[in-house]
Amino acid sequence: MLVLCPEVPTPGFSFENCKRNALLENKGFTVPKATKTGTTIVGIIYKDGVILGADTRATEDTTVADKNCEKIHYLAPNICCGAGTAADTEMTTQMIASQLELHKLYTNRVCRVATANQLLKQYLFRYQGHIGAALILGGVDVDGPHLYQIYPHGSSDHLPFITMGSGSLAAMSVFESGWKPNLDEEAGVLLVRNAIAAGVFNDLGSGSNIDVCIIRKGSTDYRRTYDEANKKGIRQASYRYPRGTTRVLSTKIVDVEEVSVQRIEPERMDTA
Amino acid sequence: MSLAEVCGIKEFDSSFNSHTIYQNDVNNLCMNFTNNLELGVPPFANPAENLSRFTKDEAGRDIKMKFDHGTTTLGFMYQGGVVLAVDSRATGGQFIGSQTMKKIVEINDFLLGTLAGGAADCVYWDRVLAKQCRMYELRNRERISVAAASKLMANMVYNYKGMGLSMGMMLAGWDKRGPQLYYVDSEGTRTPGKVFSVGSGSIYAFGVLDSGYQWDLTDEEAYDLGRRAIYHATHRDAYSGGIVRVYHMKSTGWILIDNNDCNDLHYKYQEEKENLENNV
Amino acid sequence: MSILAYNGGAMVAMKGENCVSIAADRRFGIQAQTVATNFQKIFEMGPHLYVGLPGLATDTQTVMEKLRFRKNLYELKENRRISPKVFSAMLSNMLYEKRFGPFFVEPVVAGLDPKTYEPFICNMDLIGCINLPTDFVVGGTASAQLYGMCEALWEPNLGPDDLFETTSQALINAFDRDAISGWGATVYIIEKDKVTIKNLKTRMD
Repeated sequence: MLVLCPEVPTPGFSFENCKRNALLENKGFTVPKATKTGTTIVGIIYKDGVILGADTRATEDTTVADKNCEKIHYLAPNICCGAGTAADTEMTTQMIASQLELHKLYTNRVCRVATANQLLKQYLFRYQGHIGAALILGGVDVDGPHLYQIYPHGSSDHLPFITMGSGSLAAMSVFESGWKPNLDEEAGVLLVRNAIAAGVFNDLGSGSNIDVCIIRKGSTDYRRTYDEANKKGIRQASYRYPRGTTRVLSTKIVDVEEVSVQRIEPERMDTA
Repeated sequence: MSLAEVCGIKEFDSSFNSHTIYQNDVNNLCMNFTNNLELGVPPFANPAENLSRFTKDEAGRDIKMKFDHGTTTLGFMYQGGVVLAVDSRATGGQFIGSQTMKKIVEINDFLLGTLAGGAADCVYWDRVLAKQCRMYELRNRERISVAAASKLMANMVYNYKGMGLSMGMMLAGWDKRGPQLYYVDSEGTRTPGKVFSVGSGSIYAFGVLDSGYQWDLTDEEAYDLGRRAIYHATHRDAYSGGIVRVYHMKSTGWILIDNNDCNDLHYKYQEEKENLENNV
Repeated sequence: MSILAYNGGAMVAMKGENCVSIAADRRFGIQAQTVATNFQKIFEMGPHLYVGLPGLATDTQTVMEKLRFRKNLYELKENRRISPKVFSAMLSNMLYEKRFGPFFVEPVVAGLDPKTYEPFICNMDLIGCINLPTDFVVGGTASAQLYGMCEALWEPNLGPDDLFETTSQALINAFDRDAISGWGATVYIIEKDKVTIKNLKTRMD
């Protein structure tokens, strides 16, 4: 690689820090944990399509890193996907979404859910579970509604109702007792809400609000913060510090000038 | 009952009800209630050798056996007696648990001890030492010598060598033979000396102390030297800080010189330094 | 000990009314030893855009240089300022590229959109998972203490002066309970027409 003109790096993962990091680890330093989504995510098939649900808590070890994160990701206009490791699901779904978009433009057809499933599981299998993305994939295509469960190692199931994540047991207890074929939308959404609420209240890794996404044939209805299961109390008094509390050693003020845009008319190249 | 008879245990019931089993348990687990030199040792053979095998949990993670540590303490003898100076920060890992801890223990009017290492170890054994010293006084109608007190301490902790005690302390006093300063630690070291500094910040404190130390310091100079040494250590060492406490051991007993917040000291010393630079 | 706690450092960013703040301590240490008290962890990436990189100091500087390089290329290519949102996406992708051999930094981004002057804050974990809250973000070794301070002190619609006070006090009181951060602090208050940079007087132990 040239020093003055660095090459454009090759796409894909870079492993250039691995040797150094292994060395640091051998010296007894612990490697920090990445943000996990903790998570309760669910999906069901109902009369007219699929309904996906998710909680909104992201955790870093025992700390709640984000109280209202988005776990239902967009894959295509007719396909959504709930979320393991937060960065992995985010990045994986972003990448597959772009591939699906290109596929749609190339074939001029609405993507099938099976296509998305195949792309995801092949990608995850390639990395042998090191990419910690656990997904519920739901959508409606020409074949009707589909719901897939995809594990980080790349296996997948095609099922009528699914729960995943640390709150999956609590949520599954709701589905096992309440799910039946051909539910109407209202009953379906309520069932999904109850399943997520079971995760939120019974699993420490899940919490905060409930997001729901309803995918029907031809339309998608993403209801962000469908239900606020845990409303924060209103603070009674202000803890605001009076101005001048903080002792300051030095102050520097940088004025930011209004950037004036000057349009320069393109000149014709002299070709005479 | 019938099962006990079949097994031929006739005395089972009576022995069970007599509570002797529990009494033994209570006695074994609370030995230091009756004899505070005896701690409950870990319940396996050769604890000194085998303890290290029990410091990881089933998942291979370290079991939290790290207690409050980091400290800077120092003590030195000079013509006016002994000066002790300490910081006041108590940390558990990187978390600061207290900024106002008292790291000098007033054992009696003529004996002071400093704490460094495991806070609980130091506090407990200093308390035991204080009792032993008082008992000595009552038995012998005279105060214990510093040499004897430090030896008591060294012998007490030596019994638990290798079992995880962690302490490094200085004992300063004034007895029949004049001012005394001893260093005692949990490894069993006991040594008299003129200048000591103990704790994570000791390297920084020694830097200041060694460059400013003379036998002929006046009282004020000695206090200032101790104070500066601790201040500089708190500035460089993450695990030292809070308040600098300075004590002076005189022929008439110890006196507390002053307690200074490191924050005030920093900006005071900084101002002095700037003034000095401006005058040059 | 965690690699992120090798050098120590605390970082916080807050949203206010038409302004954002970002603040960090100034310590550079090697475990318990304080080596310098003028270490920069917050970097200017545009007139209204700042990024804080708490964590392992060597990676703080490496990531900053890589970021500056990529940001400059973007701005040359596009002939316009990078927006905080795009910048964060770029940083996130850069960190995720090293998913299996990460840089040990937990970035905090604060800025105003170059066109709309909309306040923007976000933070990420070390492999680039973006977190976009509406109130405040924290990072570094005092993050537990900072979460506590910010949850109590932050309120909506703070003006630049009150935002400065809130941010500074949250940071100072948080790192006063952390052994390996502190030793001075820098606060940036970013407004539409100016950026105010203040060095704070703090405990030096």
